[in-house]
Amino acid sequence: MEILVDIKNLSKKYKDAPRPAVNDISFIIEKGSVFGLLGPNGAGKTTLISMLCGLFSQNEGTISINGKTHQSNSKECKQMIGVVPQEIALYPKLTAWENLMFLGHMYGIKTSELKERVTKNLSILGLHENTHQKIITYSGGMKRRVNLIAGLLHNPQLLILDEPTVGVDVQSKQAIIEYLKNLNTELGMTILYTSHHLEEAEDFCSHIAIIDDGKLITQGKTKQLISENDCKSIEEVYLKITGSKFRDK
Amino acid sequence: MKLLYSIYKEYKVLTRDRAGLAITFIMPTVLILIITLIQDTTFRSVSEASVPLLIVDRDNDSLASSLEKSLAGSKFFVITKKNITNEQAKNEVAHGSYLIGIVIPENTSKNLRKKSTQRISKLLNSFTGDTITKDERIDTNRLQLQLFFDPITKLSFKTTISNSISSIISQIEMQSMATSLNQKMQENFPYASPQKVETAPLVTTTEEYASYNNSTIIPNSVQHNVPAWTLFAMFFICIPLAGNIIKEREDGSAFRLLTMPGSYMIVILGKMLTYISVSLIQFGLMLCVGLYILPLMGLPQLNVGDNVLLLFLVAFSAGLAATGFGLLVGTISNSHDQASLFGAVFVIILAAIGGIWVPTFVMPEIMKQISVISPLNWGLEAFYGIFLRNFGLKEIYPELIRLWLFFLATLSTSFLYQKYVRMR
Repeated sequence: MEILVDIKNLSKKYKDAPRPAVNDISFIIEKGSVFGLLGPNGAGKTTLISMLCGLFSQNEGTISINGKTHQSNSKECKQMIGVVPQEIALYPKLTAWENLMFLGHMYGIKTSELKERVTKNLSILGLHENTHQKIITYSGGMKRRVNLIAGLLHNPQLLILDEPTVGVDVQSKQAIIEYLKNLNTELGMTILYTSHHLEEAEDFCSHIAIIDDGKLITQGKTKQLISENDCKSIEEVYLKITGSKFRDK
Repeated sequence: MKLLYSIYKEYKVLTRDRAGLAITFIMPTVLILIITLIQDTTFRSVSEASVPLLIVDRDNDSLASSLEKSLAGSKFFVITKKNITNEQAKNEVAHGSYLIGIVIPENTSKNLRKKSTQRISKLLNSFTGDTITKDERIDTNRLQLQLFFDPITKLSFKTTISNSISSIISQIEMQSMATSLNQKMQENFPYASPQKVETAPLVTTTEEYASYNNSTIIPNSVQHNVPAWTLFAMFFICIPLAGNIIKEREDGSAFRLLTMPGSYMIVILGKMLTYISVSLIQFGLMLCVGLYILPLMGLPQLNVGDNVLLLFLVAFSAGLAATGFGLLVGTISNSHDQASLFGAVFVIILAAIGGIWVPTFVMPEIMKQISVISPLNWGLEAFYGIFLRNFGLKEIYPELIRLWLFFLATLSTSFLYQKYVRMR
């Protein structure tokens, strides 16, 4: 077992917040795995991902990616990570091609190589005919697909997906998940995935961690978690562990 | 390469934003045209021959014609002659048709000649010991010209005009006395052939604007409004720039860019260079408006002076300051609405106190002192220096340094604020 991400005793408390957003969390992500990070709204997922991406610094604990930390090797760590935010982080008045060429150049990819990658990815995700259309004219599903491509142009070792299929139709959702599965199986890309679609998470993730109130409640292999908790699905496990009370009051 | 692509991206985003382009280029052009046309009369009334003056001449003799000739010769008045009553003349001035009205009563010239002759006779008789006849006794009733002033006329301007008219009348009086003296001497020495008494002033004054390098360019509405509204437009760039930053933050692009190795700084640098270039294009465009469009509307042509390169250095410095300000507004604002409101209001305040709307030279002393805190004032003073005083870099560098320091202050505040937000 080769470890890609090693998080140890990670804590983060925002100034003036009554309690820590992330409270003494430790887990590892194996290379080549699909790791689902689940939890209710306000559980601490976004803060955890932000620290993993090097956006915030933690109050306590360590994060190492492939043995390197943001503190000592920020540039290398960032180069190993690809991020697909929940929002459509694209420029609506630019075309898909212009968006991807810009973002690819920001990762330092050479123009000729970048053109190849953009063309290939747009084609795989069925967008080759809309390459030179402005993003503003795209449907929600098409935007999601371009948003996804933007995060993996530089072939990251760790792809972080924040609800990549939210608000898209079944066809787009299926295309995205299939594409991600291929990336994982064929290229061995490690994926950290957050979602509220628990059925999708159960189907897609090899490992799952559930956090609530900034604490890690449980983690393990997906099937193992279901059997250990004597449940039929991850959704049951999730409700059993986190309860059915509203969290975002 | 990253920087070039970042600039290219900003260029694409900007050129496809029609509202942003309108604010950036059309707004200042329209403002320059409108405000220059509106303010042209005001600027001219201070500096050029445009004071509308009404003469009601019931004298129809030498005094009226001499007075009219002298007033016209001063190139300070636009003279209209009318044959109307005193009350009508007063009404026309009161309604603003004329700034000044002069009524010359009947027989004024005749009476002036008569009084001059009396004075000269009295003077000569005092030498010869002749008795002063009844006719030679001076009538103590003074001749009176009636002057009407528009109520909006400032006291200082009224005094200046009154003094000018009094001076002209004094010369006419002097001329009349000299003529009378000549006539009397002719009567006493009929065989002499004396020369005419010279009445031309013996003392004259020379006047010139105390400008640098012998430049005598006088400020006009074009020379004020073109740089003033260009600076206003440059600083108004803060709204599209702040909007651009906020949009990136809201749609997650900033998050994505921050997760890239060393890219966000390049993106910000790309934004700054793009918007500074836009400022320079704005400036070039506004110079063209001043040089080619305004003269077509009957306004004076912009005199750009000799140092165009220095003008662009000032524009670049102002563009830096404006971009830094836009970056700060975009960083500290939470929403596009907040940035638009805050940016617009702040720029309008800075413009008002900086002498963009009302030039600082007509402001009260306290406002003149306050105006020096506005970066728009620094830019405007630098432009004034080049346009009006032929200043070089040596003279305007304090203004440039202030603009650069403002840029550095806003830039570092933005980064510190962003760091603070990420740390908290």
